[in-house]
Amino acid sequence: MIQFAQVSKRYPNGQDALRSVNFEIASGEMAFLTGHSGAGKSTLLKLICLMERATSGQVIINGKNLNKVKRRKIPSVRRDIGMIFQDHRLLFDRSVFDNVALPLMIAGYEHREIGRRVRAALDKVGLLSKEKSTPVMLSGGEQQRVGIARAVVNKPPLLLADEPTGNLDPELSAEIMKLFEQFNQVGVSLLIASHDLSLLAQMHYRTLVMKEGRLVQDQTDQALNFVNDESNLDIMSSDGYQDEHYE
Amino acid sequence: MSSAHPIGASKTQGASFSARLKMLLRLHKMEGKRGFKELFDNPFSNFMTVLVIAIALALPAGLQVMLDNGKNLSQSWDGASRISLYLKMGLSHSETNQLADKIRQNLAVDQVDIILPDKALADFSAHSGFADAIAELDNNPLPPTLVIQPSKNYSTPTASEELLATFRKLPNVEQAQLDLDWVRKLYALLQLAEKAASALGFALGLAVLLIVGNTIRLSVQNRREEIEVVKLVGATDAFIRRPFLYTGFWYGLFAGLLCWIILEVSLIWLQDPIANLAGLYQSQFTVNGLNLTQSLQLIGISCSLGLLGSWLSVGRHIRHIEPR
Repeated sequence: MIQFAQVSKRYPNGQDALRSVNFEIASGEMAFLTGHSGAGKSTLLKLICLMERATSGQVIINGKNLNKVKRRKIPSVRRDIGMIFQDHRLLFDRSVFDNVALPLMIAGYEHREIGRRVRAALDKVGLLSKEKSTPVMLSGGEQQRVGIARAVVNKPPLLLADEPTGNLDPELSAEIMKLFEQFNQVGVSLLIASHDLSLLAQMHYRTLVMKEGRLVQDQTDQALNFVNDESNLDIMSSDGYQDEHYE
Repeated sequence: MSSAHPIGASKTQGASFSARLKMLLRLHKMEGKRGFKELFDNPFSNFMTVLVIAIALALPAGLQVMLDNGKNLSQSWDGASRISLYLKMGLSHSETNQLADKIRQNLAVDQVDIILPDKALADFSAHSGFADAIAELDNNPLPPTLVIQPSKNYSTPTASEELLATFRKLPNVEQAQLDLDWVRKLYALLQLAEKAASALGFALGLAVLLIVGNTIRLSVQNRREEIEVVKLVGATDAFIRRPFLYTGFWYGLFAGLLCWIILEVSLIWLQDPIANLAGLYQSQFTVNGLNLTQSLQLIGISCSLGLLGSWLSVGRHIRHIEPR
């Protein structure tokens, strides 16, 4: 589903965000991406959804080589990827329904079909009763779930989440993760960037660890060896915000 | 936009072509309505924009109305390009008639009227108030006169001047006169005004494009976040452009209507003074407003300018907004 081959990314200011990153995520796989801020997690996700282009190497998504995707074809690539953001990125002047309906409207679905799919997605995240509310009226956890409903309403084969639980308390985070697991069970591939180590420790999934633009660990093993691994000690100590959650 | 994917939808997704077409129409309806409603979200500043555009359009349009009326006026006074031939004194009736017949054969001439000296003197004494003094005269001092009405194609200043030169060379013609001056001046004025109207129209049309473009640019910037979000969920540029194009269109439509109202009200306001002025010249002249075709043209041009202005602006600006 996701294939990175010798991918490097250097920003115009000379910063090397990614250095020769290699990995592959199979169709239907769910994986976490972790590392402290600035390690290159966000850049990696941005390359997948074409918010940035790789400086060298190849990114292949769903069999499509992104190097060869022209600017005007970017929308069609993005429609096959559901994206979930830490800050939700909802449209605050529209109802929950309209927010979730957006990808379907863009793809040109029929009115009735949109209603059906949006309600199914909202039902999935437990917000069916809020379809007429505006996002401002919702709590942070609810807003995040609207964001998730929007990401899955189009039934994309791949979901990307960038710090989806960043602003949520552990209980809500666990709920969100449960949702992700449910999507994974119906065959959706997921790549979730998170530096919430306590959460990662609870979830037994493959974890990619990044440090200074390199992929330093790729563990399929559930027992992520946090304490013994030097790079992970780094992660914990470098991020004060993180420690709160870890405690 | 390729024809196979009307709104750039990807092939992997389920919506059929006809469903997409339906949705496209629906989207147009929705965005049109939404843009319309948004005009009233911010009524004051939008009204200002519309007013500025309307005024910018009203100037050249008003000038055009004046020009049309000026042309009407000059046409109704075609008779003024008449040529008067004063013949040699003492020319007999038959000689005068011969000359008139000869001139009638000229294709450039519509009509030739003969004014014999006796008739001329009678008219003169009747209208001039010098009847007593004229009665004292021993003989008639007035020559026989031919009044020539050139045909329509020869009423322009240059053509009638050429005609005048031909007639001047005729035997028995003492003097030929064309009251050209004011006709020439009016023509020159109209030509100047026409050029000025075109230049003004062009400059102000450009100004309208800039006004709409700038307003749309601000609106694009205000909705930057929204644009980023819809780009992230796979919106094509066409999809993002659509609401802004509608906004531009609505600006144009309302400005066109407002401009029309401004023109009509100004003409009504001018009606009385113009009637007074025309009365002084014993003329029944009245100002004509815009007819239906012209009104529709005005609104059509206004809508197109609104649409074009927003098109030029939005295309450039949404390109620069990429999700971060």
